[in-house]
Amino acid sequence: MNESSPGLMKQSPDALASRLMQKAQNQDGLPEIAIGLVFLTVAVTMWMQVAFHPGSLPYRAASLVLGLLVPALILGSLWAIKQVRRRFLIGKVGYVELKPLNRRRAGMAMGFAFAVAVVAAIAASKGSFPPASWVLAGTGIGGGLLAALSGRIPRFVVGGVVIAVTGLLLAFSRVSLDVGFMILYGSMGVLSLVSGCTVLLLFLRKPDAAGENELG
Amino acid sequence: MSAKIQQLAGIDRIIHEPSRLMIVALLAAVQEADFQYLRQTTGLTQGNLSAHLSKLEEAGYIAVEKTFRGKYPLTICRLTERGREVLDNYKRVMKAAL
Repeated sequence: MNESSPGLMKQSPDALASRLMQKAQNQDGLPEIAIGLVFLTVAVTMWMQVAFHPGSLPYRAASLVLGLLVPALILGSLWAIKQVRRRFLIGKVGYVELKPLNRRRAGMAMGFAFAVAVVAAIAASKGSFPPASWVLAGTGIGGGLLAALSGRIPRFVVGGVVIAVTGLLLAFSRVSLDVGFMILYGSMGVLSLVSGCTVLLLFLRKPDAAGENELG
Repeated sequence: MSAKIQQLAGIDRIIHEPSRLMIVALLAAVQEADFQYLRQTTGLTQGNLSAHLSKLEEAGYIAVEKTFRGKYPLTICRLTERGREVLDNYKRVMKAAL
């Protein structure tokens, strides 16, 4: 009964449930694998945009992938994780049906993301972006903080620190913004994928809880 | 202030037990979950979880349904309206008292 330690029970019931569900969500490494694949796809499309001339077929294909496939991958990965768990891992992770997404909150988040994208596009068109090194350092530190705070488990904190340090190193190395983002997203993708696969393998090696689905 | 603290004396003992509070809080956050998910998430042993679920079911706070998903047997648990009311009341009393 390790989860009902005094520290955990000091939280409010809602916070406690959220904490436990977050831990359960990350126990099999599947979310990290999905995030890793998304970041690697972004890094590959960015590499194509750096390597090929604007207007060439690979460049256009990369733009299309970045604009259409990546958002679809992000949304599709949630569905894919649920399907993999229900089809192959149900004996280990169990079955859960989450509450439907809060539409108001989701709408607000999407509106905020859209507003940030519009502001970034306007700033880029006017050439008023801060120097590349600031953007890279900011993205690295922001991404690292997000990873550390969203997971709130040791491997996410370590990953967050690695991402932040990578962003800072890229900022000091004076690479261009495109190349810097490509390296940053690529390293985030590889890190996430390796971590997720390792966790999944360890999780699969754990003995199955066969015959424990009984209520006495 | 003392009246609020006195409310603690009348707090629901079934839900006040840490393991059962954990189970009820989890079920309040999802639509439904099976025995294995609850076992994995709470870290309780099979016997402990089984006993706590039986107590909660007897009190009418959760509903338990045995079903299958393909060949896999599922013991699905849901929080009832009564369970939700009791949890909300518990949170209100604890917040006021502490």
